[in-house]
Amino acid sequence: MSSDYEFIDHTYDVVVVGAGGAGLRATLGLAEAGLETACITKVFPTRSHTVAAQGGISAALGNMGEDDWRWHMYDTVKGSDWLGDQDAIEYMCKEAPAAVIELEHYGVPFSRTEDGRIYQRPFGGMSTHFGKGTAQRTCAAADRTGHAMLHTLYQQSLRRDATFFIEYFAIDLIMDDEGVCRGVVALDLAEGKLHRYRAQSVILATGGYGRAYFSCTSAHTCTGDGNAMVLRAGLPLQDMEFVQFHPTGIYGAGCLITEGVRGEGGFLTNSDNERFMERYAPNAKDLASRDVVSRSMTIEIREGRGIGEHNDHLHLNLQHLGADVIEERLPGIAETAKIFAGVDVTREPIPVLPTVHYNMGGIPTNYHGEVITRDGGGDRVVQGLMAAGEAACVSVHGANRLGSNSLLDLVVFGRAVGQRCRDTLTAGAKQPALPAGAGQQSVERLDKLRNASGGRSTAEIRLDMQKCMQEHAAVFRTGDLLEEGLDKLRGIHASFADVSVADRSLIWNTDLVETLELENLLDQAMATICNAEHRKESRGAQAREDYPDRDDQEWMKHILTWVDNGRVRFDYRPVQLDTLTDDVEAIPPKQRVY
Amino acid sequence: MAQFTLPANSKIGRGRQFKAEGAKRKRTFSVYRFDPDSGDNPRMDSYEVDLDRCGPMVLDALIKIKNEIDPTLTFRRSCREGICGSCAMNIDGVNTLACTRAIDEVKGDVKVYPLPHTRVVKDLVPDLTGFYAQYASIQPWLQTRTPAPPDRERLQSKEDQQKIDEPSACILCACCSTSCPSYWWNGDRYLGPAILLQAYRWLVDTRDEATGERLDHLEDPFRLYRCHTIMNCTSACPKGLNPAKAIAETKKMLLERRH
Amino acid sequence: MSRRTPLGAVLGLGSAKEGVGHWWAQRLTAVALLPLGLWFVFSVAILAGTESSDYLSVVDWVSAPFNAVMLILFIGTLAYHSMLGVQVVIEDYVHGWLKVFSLVLQKFAHIAVAAAAIYSVLSIALGN
Repeated sequence: MSSDYEFIDHTYDVVVVGAGGAGLRATLGLAEAGLETACITKVFPTRSHTVAAQGGISAALGNMGEDDWRWHMYDTVKGSDWLGDQDAIEYMCKEAPAAVIELEHYGVPFSRTEDGRIYQRPFGGMSTHFGKGTAQRTCAAADRTGHAMLHTLYQQSLRRDATFFIEYFAIDLIMDDEGVCRGVVALDLAEGKLHRYRAQSVILATGGYGRAYFSCTSAHTCTGDGNAMVLRAGLPLQDMEFVQFHPTGIYGAGCLITEGVRGEGGFLTNSDNERFMERYAPNAKDLASRDVVSRSMTIEIREGRGIGEHNDHLHLNLQHLGADVIEERLPGIAETAKIFAGVDVTREPIPVLPTVHYNMGGIPTNYHGEVITRDGGGDRVVQGLMAAGEAACVSVHGANRLGSNSLLDLVVFGRAVGQRCRDTLTAGAKQPALPAGAGQQSVERLDKLRNASGGRSTAEIRLDMQKCMQEHAAVFRTGDLLEEGLDKLRGIHASFADVSVADRSLIWNTDLVETLELENLLDQAMATICNAEHRKESRGAQAREDYPDRDDQEWMKHILTWVDNGRVRFDYRPVQLDTLTDDVEAIPPKQRVY
Repeated sequence: MAQFTLPANSKIGRGRQFKAEGAKRKRTFSVYRFDPDSGDNPRMDSYEVDLDRCGPMVLDALIKIKNEIDPTLTFRRSCREGICGSCAMNIDGVNTLACTRAIDEVKGDVKVYPLPHTRVVKDLVPDLTGFYAQYASIQPWLQTRTPAPPDRERLQSKEDQQKIDEPSACILCACCSTSCPSYWWNGDRYLGPAILLQAYRWLVDTRDEATGERLDHLEDPFRLYRCHTIMNCTSACPKGLNPAKAIAETKKMLLERRH
Repeated sequence: MSRRTPLGAVLGLGSAKEGVGHWWAQRLTAVALLPLGLWFVFSVAILAGTESSDYLSVVDWVSAPFNAVMLILFIGTLAYHSMLGVQVVIEDYVHGWLKVFSLVLQKFAHIAVAAAAIYSVLSIALGN
């Protein structure tokens, strides 16, 4: 191997990969606990995609009417279509008020009520009294809650002098022969040097992989790098078929319009100017959970009641809210709609379309954030490896996430991994030497791709993959469509061997980085479409027209998926239907109606 | 003396031309290129882009160029909806976000440069290390001595929250700071509008109890008083914020505590 | 290349805890110069406009106590305001040793010019 690549070695107690909400919350908790912590991130922390979260973070604070974390738990379990693990959901909902109050104490500029408390708005699927009333549970900082949180978390990390490696692209995990994670390899984009981190524990907080699809609300950087690192380490991902389509992405541009618009009283209409959600969800209407609304919208469009020249989108109306409410609570939406749809929201509706938004699936973990794999019919904790945030599948979201539960997921489990490390690791403990040749595979892969001179550009292959996913693994799925898609995707996956990279430099080589990201996306796309084909039922975000009903007998289980050179293998984990403590009773499966 | 001309190794030459054959509606993008490996002077490459096969924003065009014409073109981008602040650059002579700048708003050829007066790492990627360090230097976190209530949030009135609502919406894109001549000449010591806006965000947060220390830290001929109310910052801000006003308010606070 | 951390470089020698005085003085002198400047321009215009505007009439004008006091105020304020302004210009554009040198020089120059001008007014007003 040429001397272009020499490792710069580091040793830390813990290495966090990713500096979004979960990564930063973990980093600052670890720094606070006195563990030597490094946070590796491919973008400057405040550029992470948490910044784009708009509507808010759920917590049963009861600032704006009665509330109870048990109701929140009920909503979350129901939202998950009973695929969520109830121990983890109990943990999250119970911890939520403390987690949000902690954020406020950190300085998040939350909007306020008349009496100075944190402002809370209604959100889809959030109810009181176990589905009877409407809850105002989503704590908001106008319509830029994610921005407010991410900046605050970064500020707190600065306060604790956490060590950051900014604009470093993590390539691979370092695993030893016993299957223990021992560290991570990363590329410094600015200098082009490879860094090898040795750590007692590696925490993956690398977010989702929305960019596997053609049209998504996700940032360009949402390529699920941690998920793919896990797959390459011979570990499985879980529930990858569950891809959330957000009902209101801007038609064309795909930019997110928060569910908070509907929380504040906005509603959807079709070409007949009808509030069609009243037909699909008589109680919750426009505030039914996202999978329900997205399916309803898709049906409306399919049945010819779409709007526009091609009858291919719908309208989100908020004109009736009035300029004052919009300016106070939804200023960012007004701006985004103006820029990307050319719409003045005080006068006209916004053209919207269900758009890929969130990945419920990811790296399987327990509620401490420890990564789980399956061995001999039982769960096994992977030593030295943890995950949190969208990358992880705890699973608190099951088959469908409720709006404003993801920001909550980030902070609760970002905090939980920090606490777990504090309780189980010793600061400065001596670590054995890395296995011989650690990171060598990454070097070979990097070098091969950097010098790749095949016949297809990264962008071409990526576009093929994105189009394939968009066409074959969208809101509604059928066995035939999925199989056809799988065939195509196999071809696309194989065509990566013929990729070409034009930039040979090691300094800020974004061509190379996009190629590494594409390789990551391809494995995840494969897992997604294979799982979708494999799960022969409809549950949450997985809507199979050939299997329209939920099948609790056969399919109330998580699917674990290994992807090795494009070959896929499955295993299963039972859904945790028992709660963590006796504070709440388990919520037995029943039909899901909004 | 201040540098009013480019140093020899920064003089920009003419670069390569890429034509879009057969396009009906095309636009030329003239893009600053700097390859740190070659040691060559920067150049302006020009790319014709078929607007009928391109999204509406300048970022869409840059991505199209990278995808279809020249994959070596290097720039930062992430959210593509104006909230992450990655794709700040100088377009048509104005610092802004490529993702929210419509191509139609630019007349004639679209000239794209990195943020002015920054060290260019490669193409449109500037080195913002100093900018981030300046951000850290103002200790941008809530500082209190009164312990927080154990079981609930700190209270803040709606009116008081509105004071921090706008300044806290800053995305740290550095468009304002790098449009400020004062920051060009003294960016090593002058904190610049973005950072001063953030400093102000904490000065007016009613929950914060370190206002005095924060003002002490700012009262300096260079850190704060290099602001000569040129107002480029406010006209550059892609989020419509007003750093110039925040700086003026800060100066007023400093005066107020003397009288 | 310096190995200093970026934060270390930014924090540098710390805050001078000064600047508000300068800033305020510049604004105060600007405000004061408005009436003083107007008075001066008007007076000179009137002087120039009268037919008997020879050397002696100007000496007479300067000798009037009100005019002399106003002139001294005007000269002092103008010089001080200019000194503050030139200081800012130098701080903006000049770097390194030349900056300190030119800052000192401009201060001396302003004081010297102001002293000479005030001395002239006094010597006329007090009739030497």
